[in-house]
Amino acid sequence: MIRAALSWATRRWNGAAAGEDRGETWRWIRAIYGKETLEAIRDRRTLLVMILLPALFMPLATLGLPYLEQRQQHLIQTVTPKVAIMGESEGLIHLAYTTRLITPVRAKDPVAALRARTVLAVLRIPPKFEAIVARDGQAHVGVLYDASDSESTAARTRVVELISRYSQQIVALRLAARHLNPRDLLPVVLDERNVATQRQLSGLLLASLLPFFIAMWAVVGGMSVAVDLAAGEKERGTLESLLVTPPSREAIVLGKFLSVVTASMGAVIGVIIAMMVSLRWGYPYLLHTVKQLDVSLPLGTAVLVMGVALLFSALVSAVQLALSIYARSPREAQQFITPLYFVTVFPVLAVQYVSEWQRSGWAYLAPVLNAFFAIRELLLGTVNWGHLLLATVSSAFYAALALEIAIILMSRESVVFRT
Amino acid sequence: MADPQVLVEAIDLQKRFRTFHAVKGVSFHCYGGEVFGLLGPNGAGKTTTIRMLTTILRPTGGTARIAGHDVVQAPAQVRRVIGVLPENAGVYGRLTARDAIRYAGRLYGVAPDVLEARIVEIAEALELTPHLDRLTDTFSKGMKQKVNVARALIHNPPVVFLDEPTSGLDVISARSVRDFVLRFKQEGRCVIMSTHIMEEAEKLCDRVMIIAGGRVVAEGGLAELKAKTGLGLEEIFMQLVEQTVQ
Repeated sequence: MIRAALSWATRRWNGAAAGEDRGETWRWIRAIYGKETLEAIRDRRTLLVMILLPALFMPLATLGLPYLEQRQQHLIQTVTPKVAIMGESEGLIHLAYTTRLITPVRAKDPVAALRARTVLAVLRIPPKFEAIVARDGQAHVGVLYDASDSESTAARTRVVELISRYSQQIVALRLAARHLNPRDLLPVVLDERNVATQRQLSGLLLASLLPFFIAMWAVVGGMSVAVDLAAGEKERGTLESLLVTPPSREAIVLGKFLSVVTASMGAVIGVIIAMMVSLRWGYPYLLHTVKQLDVSLPLGTAVLVMGVALLFSALVSAVQLALSIYARSPREAQQFITPLYFVTVFPVLAVQYVSEWQRSGWAYLAPVLNAFFAIRELLLGTVNWGHLLLATVSSAFYAALALEIAIILMSRESVVFRT
Repeated sequence: MADPQVLVEAIDLQKRFRTFHAVKGVSFHCYGGEVFGLLGPNGAGKTTTIRMLTTILRPTGGTARIAGHDVVQAPAQVRRVIGVLPENAGVYGRLTARDAIRYAGRLYGVAPDVLEARIVEIAEALELTPHLDRLTDTFSKGMKQKVNVARALIHNPPVVFLDEPTSGLDVISARSVRDFVLRFKQEGRCVIMSTHIMEEAEKLCDRVMIIAGGRVVAEGGLAELKAKTGLGLEEIFMQLVEQTVQ
């Protein structure tokens, strides 16, 4: 594949340079790239996608949602839920008051009260409960709750905890009556210790979030630019003026392609920066649960992640440009390009759930998956250089292939004048 | 090899799009310092002919040379010696007029020091100077057309193609473009212009070619055509086109 890619590059380069000197070809590419990028920068949509959206969206996505979840958990943990009691047990109710696990209440129709959410669970105590317990018997208590309501589910957990503690108290009393030590029931005690370093934990967090956002912004970042500078040119009637100038179709497509890659990577860099700022400084400030976590991305890893992201961005940009060249109008280009978002983002989401694929070489040859398996390895600190090389070469090959298709399309009369 | 004075030479030029034969053997030549008009109703094949001569479309038959370069064998060389104003050409709205003209100059390989002086010169001639640093999005249609004319001429080409240059322009802008066509002629350029406005053709063109249904139905000097038929250009045009349709 490497040989084929090199052979293609040589043929393409020699072909592009036939009848024109290479310095001139580069000057054309630079001129087209400069003009397209200037227009893109002056387009508010590009700046919105590259800077404003990541700056606003990333803190919301990485901090806002976890913060709301933490807030809800906090409420569930601190508020004592009202639980309707059916039946009698002085000991159990006393324990409920002393532990403050639940607030026992009486209700005429406990099930109706649960449905009306005036209580969050119902604890059903059987008749003669205390007598059964006193006779060393086994009593069955019931809990009714609403599984579709997170607060009711949390109240159920509290009831389970209450029953467990009450059970433990009774067990302790029964064992004491038989002159037995409660520790005899627990001959082995497990002590746990997490050996993961801050770097690994930070890597895990980044590996679960960053690939998705890189994929998303690589597509979204270049989308409006790709649509504008091919299909948009057709619609505005400027494409024909460009095609009658000396630059070859290769130079025209390369100049435009570099501009789309710039917008795409600009958005990716923006999103990485916004995310790192959010995670490093926003997380500890807003989220108590991760206060100890030092989120960081070592420079070497960051450079490699950017390198792989650049190749992915190049592939996405080349495909977007090819679709935009083929489209009759910006509207049609938008329709062609939108599915690309799903085609790329879904595999990236799946990457973290198919970790067994990570060990096989083919995963590093499959388009899209290759880049994100490699990025995941880099972030987790488990990089395999062979995998990284495979992912890099295959991503470059796919990007070059897509670019070649874009050049072929730009050279076809039936496509250029497809209106 | 073409006659040195002949800057544009088309011999039996043909274009077929799948089953549709758009141009069925067009032949003509055009000299420096001459305005050559391509006349014909909509769909006659004028734009297709211009697109073949400007290397955007590849002829399916025949040949053409621009300043001695074959449009099929040496399209890159052809593109260096032509200036083109396509039909309904748009502008880059987020560029200033200066940026847009400079961009064209860079594509044509005009040296940077020459380019800036040339922008000033062309802007002056087109009365664009006060508007050079405004975004072209804010321009009127006539002003946009002037920017496109400037882009087409920035490299001082000997051959200029104008496809319906006054289409959709107001009277003042159209007149301004016509003045430019006459100026190109005085500067010794070969101007090939398509139009369906007979009055415009009479005012500007030295010779005309009438195309209908992809075929040349008449070609010659205006005076020659009028003398031969005893009719005005519009009447000649109508008669020939009607005959072709029948």
